[in-house]
Amino acid sequence: MAVFAVFQTTFLLALLSLRTYESEVLSEPLPLTPESLKVSVNSTCQCLHLQWTVHSLAYHQELKMVFQIQISRFKTSNVIWVENYSTTVKRNQVLHWSWESELPLECAAHFIRMRSMVDDARIPKPGFWSNWSSWEEADAQNMLGHDPLFVFPKDKLVEEGSNVTICYVSRIHQDNISCYLEGVQIYGEQLDRSVSAFELKNVSFIREKGTNVFCKVDQGGVLGGIVLFVSKVLEEPKDFSCETQDLKTLTCTWDPGSDTGLTKQPSQSYTLFESFSGKKTLCKHRNWCDWQVAQDSQETYNFTLLAENYLRKRSVSILFNLTQRVHPMTPYNLLPKNVGATEATMTWKVHSIGNNSTLLCQLELLAEGKVIQQSNVSIKVNGEYLLSELEPDTEYVARVRCAYTNHFWKWSELISQKFNTAEAAPSEAPDVWRNLKMVSGHPTVSLFWKPLSKVHANGKILFYNVIVENLDKPSRFEVLSIPAPASSTELTLDQCSYQIHVTAHNSVGPSPASVIVVSGDPENEEVEQGRVNGTEDGFSVSWKPQSGDATGYVVEWCDGPQDLPCVLQWKNLGPNTTSTVISSGDFRPGVRYNFRIYGISTKRMAHLLEKKAGYLEELAPSDNPQVVMSRLTSHSFTLSWKDYPTESQPGFIQGYHVYLKPKAGEQCHPAFEKTVLPEDSVCCKYTIDNPEQKTFVVENLQPESVYEFIVTPYTSVGEGPLDAFTKVTTPDEYSHTLIHIILPMIFCILIVMIICYLKSQWLKEKCYPDSPNPYKSSVLSLIKSKENPHLTIMYVNDCVPDAIEVINKPEGSKIQFLGTRKSPTETEFTKPACLYLLPTEKNYSGPGPCICFENFTYNQAASDFASCGHFPVTPQAPPHQLGPLTSPENLLKALEQNYMNSLGEIPAGEANLNYVSQLASPTSGDKDSLPTNPPEPALCSEYKMQTAIPLGLASAPPSENSSLSSTTLLGQGEHCR
Amino acid sequence: MRAQCMRRTPLSVILGLLFLSMTATSKCLGKYHELLLQLRRQADLMQDTSTLLDPYIHIQGLDTPGLKEHCRECPGAFPSEDALRGLSRQGFLQTLNATLGLVLHRLTALCQDLPEAQQLVGLNIRGFRSNIHCMSQLLRSSSEAETPEPTQPGPGPTPPPTPPSDAFQHKLKSCRFLHGYHRFMHSVGQVLQEWGESRSRSRSRSRRHSPCRAPGDTALARPCRGGARRTWPFRRDRRLMPRGQLPR
Repeated sequence: MAVFAVFQTTFLLALLSLRTYESEVLSEPLPLTPESLKVSVNSTCQCLHLQWTVHSLAYHQELKMVFQIQISRFKTSNVIWVENYSTTVKRNQVLHWSWESELPLECAAHFIRMRSMVDDARIPKPGFWSNWSSWEEADAQNMLGHDPLFVFPKDKLVEEGSNVTICYVSRIHQDNISCYLEGVQIYGEQLDRSVSAFELKNVSFIREKGTNVFCKVDQGGVLGGIVLFVSKVLEEPKDFSCETQDLKTLTCTWDPGSDTGLTKQPSQSYTLFESFSGKKTLCKHRNWCDWQVAQDSQETYNFTLLAENYLRKRSVSILFNLTQRVHPMTPYNLLPKNVGATEATMTWKVHSIGNNSTLLCQLELLAEGKVIQQSNVSIKVNGEYLLSELEPDTEYVARVRCAYTNHFWKWSELISQKFNTAEAAPSEAPDVWRNLKMVSGHPTVSLFWKPLSKVHANGKILFYNVIVENLDKPSRFEVLSIPAPASSTELTLDQCSYQIHVTAHNSVGPSPASVIVVSGDPENEEVEQGRVNGTEDGFSVSWKPQSGDATGYVVEWCDGPQDLPCVLQWKNLGPNTTSTVISSGDFRPGVRYNFRIYGISTKRMAHLLEKKAGYLEELAPSDNPQVVMSRLTSHSFTLSWKDYPTESQPGFIQGYHVYLKPKAGEQCHPAFEKTVLPEDSVCCKYTIDNPEQKTFVVENLQPESVYEFIVTPYTSVGEGPLDAFTKVTTPDEYSHTLIHIILPMIFCILIVMIICYLKSQWLKEKCYPDSPNPYKSSVLSLIKSKENPHLTIMYVNDCVPDAIEVINKPEGSKIQFLGTRKSPTETEFTKPACLYLLPTEKNYSGPGPCICFENFTYNQAASDFASCGHFPVTPQAPPHQLGPLTSPENLLKALEQNYMNSLGEIPAGEANLNYVSQLASPTSGDKDSLPTNPPEPALCSEYKMQTAIPLGLASAPPSENSSLSSTTLLGQGEHCR
Repeated sequence: MRAQCMRRTPLSVILGLLFLSMTATSKCLGKYHELLLQLRRQADLMQDTSTLLDPYIHIQGLDTPGLKEHCRECPGAFPSEDALRGLSRQGFLQTLNATLGLVLHRLTALCQDLPEAQQLVGLNIRGFRSNIHCMSQLLRSSSEAETPEPTQPGPGPTPPPTPPSDAFQHKLKSCRFLHGYHRFMHSVGQVLQEWGESRSRSRSRSRRHSPCRAPGDTALARPCRGGARRTWPFRRDRRLMPRGQLPR
């Protein structure tokens, strides 16, 4: 009982105290100090995590409180953050609060304290702060290892465009630490002796493997770094839509945008959530997702697509009715059936949608890539459509797509099928033209035709039939079959007229015939050629209409240049046409094209009407003519370029420019025009405005001067190149006169020489016969003409020869002895005719030296007189005392008479002659060796020629020692007075 | 990226297993020279930095001044050339096989960084190890009578890679590892080159002494006759000499 009483008393006291306490709490604020404050560091998020409790609360009491938190860095006095945290607190509840630091926590020690205040509406009075808790330190540096250099934050994941603060902690306390962002140095703020911070603003994505930031000690191997993972910003999915092909499965698609995947972060994920059903699915693909349609006939769907990565979430929603999102599957089995030349039936199938659903199918027919027919067909499963108005032998493409008829949402994908229509006979006659020419005297027709266009060929042309009908002999036909793809043939005709039919054939049949009439008579080519101007569109050719009944016109030309084989082209024109534009992709500027206009008569015969030539675009001549220079005089020369073909030039040649570079200081001739060449040299220019004038005489030049000239043609566009001037030097003014004199003289001399040569025998006989006749000798006339008193004929009478012996020379043919007087012995052998001068001394026992005179001063007569014998000569005896003919004296007399007749009187003492031998005696100077046998010809001195010299030059006295050489003879000759 | 790697991994595993099964089931090359030539060619291929190191440096952004020079092999990570040269042939092959096993393991960890190159190089390493196996068998068959020699203690296999503390360290470590791998394969190629040279010298020497042919040649099946001493160009106890030196 007592125990019960004590217990009751105690309970009441406690209850009382509790009531008292409650009344105190609710009536006035109580200081509730936070207790058990603990701080931890989370390096991953760079967060300080705080947890504490408030023990002072009563049981079951909940109070709304405010906790003021202070954070200091490096030291407690350096408060960097103050924040009030409001929450409802229970007794002994562990409270949590986190704070993310911009500066990596590893780089600085942080100090945290807090105080609290009751902020509950149940307490009427305003509260007051409790005391501060003690400072709690959070120093992550304690967790670092012993490396000399650390860089933080490690592996931080941020979005592109964020600002990031990095820092380093150095244990080596050196200032020479540099930091780099992707190799580029960055600069920051030193926070502490060993800590520096760098703020990277608006960081950008560089690579999936992260952005490298590193710090290193200069001139050392210490390196520290981090990888900053910069993610692209997650984009909101675009073009989000859902549709079904079979009302069973919905397929939702979207454009995901950039991939935000990094080494540190996987690519963004996509989740599809349907709000009416409350279902969701994690999509396996980044741009589409399948959703199974519920079996409970849900018609309306509200889908939300959620994209998320580590940093961000994005979502997009759509609301739709299922039947309005039907996208049928692609039709199948599209096939042609019963394909003809102009018709074909197409069949196809579709996948059914639901029960008895109808699909609208669109059938398109394409030819050469263009839609030419379009038809809509409503079907359930099988489709069929007849295509008509098709072209024969043509490739078509049929394609089909279908849509849900109940509510059009989208066409299905297209299915295509190619097919070809069958062939038909060609629908048009080939375009035929001809070219007439004479080959070996026979008229030959070259037939050309153009391949039929695909539209008209209606199939592959296999061959062409050419039927030649002789109009003069109608019963005669000739049929030629020319396999395709030939487009020409040649026919040799006679002078008759022919009608030619040309048809094209394919596998089905022939085309209509093209008819042309040709005649064996040559065409009239006497048509004047005109000019035609080229434009950008081609050549605008016009002609005068043919007088009469022309059924049409044909313009004919060659596509290529003139120097290439002609690719004949033609254009058919109607009877009322008098102009047309001829265009061709083969036309080139600077090429002359010739056009011929024919008129087609009612008899289908062509007549040449006009000829025209033109250039699509005229160009300046590219080459200059080869100029030949002639008739060069001291004042002029002639230029000629007659071989220059004007027709093959790149423009109509309008004339020529003759450029002449005058010598320095010389003015241009009035006919020339002074002009400046591109290289700034002055030149004289003469313009020839007649393209047919191909010669030019350059006049009024200076003799002995150098000129340069060039001849260049010009067209309407310009002239030829001024690159190669030709130099010419005018000759001396008199040189040509001299040439006129000298040349005839040389000619005359040559004539004389030739005559002399031809008449040498006659001349020899006349002037220097082997047996000279002094009276016939021209020397006499020479002597007379010179009238030299010192030169005269030796008078034999004046000579006192010792002996004269005439010896026959071996050249018997030339030396004529008096045959009648020859002894038989003398005629047995031929000896030179010699005069032997024999001494008169008694002791002379042998024949003296002999002299063979072959001198025109001795004529044949003398020789005749001198029989080859020894004439004893006595010096004392006068010449006239010599015997008559047989004696030397008589001989001399005879000679004297002849000579005196011609020479006249010569003063005594001045008419002395000395004979100079031309050949010395082989034994000259040796008297003892004189030949003892005078007739021996070997010992003779043979005188071919003698020259008379004045006597004074040979005044040496005679001497016995005188030899029988020429000198000796001269000495002996002194006796001839 | 991770998903791609995961997708590729089964393929590479399948290919690798297929290759290994082929090598395991296929017969080894019986000719020593052909096998050695194959090993040398494979070593030449594997020492080429363009297969692994260069793309890795480029992909990781380490090809910047200040970082590239830190991509150097850590000393001791791989056996040095001198150490390889100091091993017996069997020891050399065992060391090579063990080292390449670790390389293969490490390369698998690099799958994320170099998915395609890693796959190709992995196949090369597997083929190389297969040839090592064949060469070892060839050498062993020719020295069955001799007592097996314990493996020459070399620098030891590369320790398994510790989990990287952070991505930057991981990049550098992987880069250094790849650098060391290529250098190691270069050293292997050098040693294998000397194998060929020393064999030639041995062959010429053996020709002087005996007409017997070396194992691996077609004449290997015919034992030497007439009591001629069997000459073996690669004696187990003979160390490879540096190039240009004759064995004493």
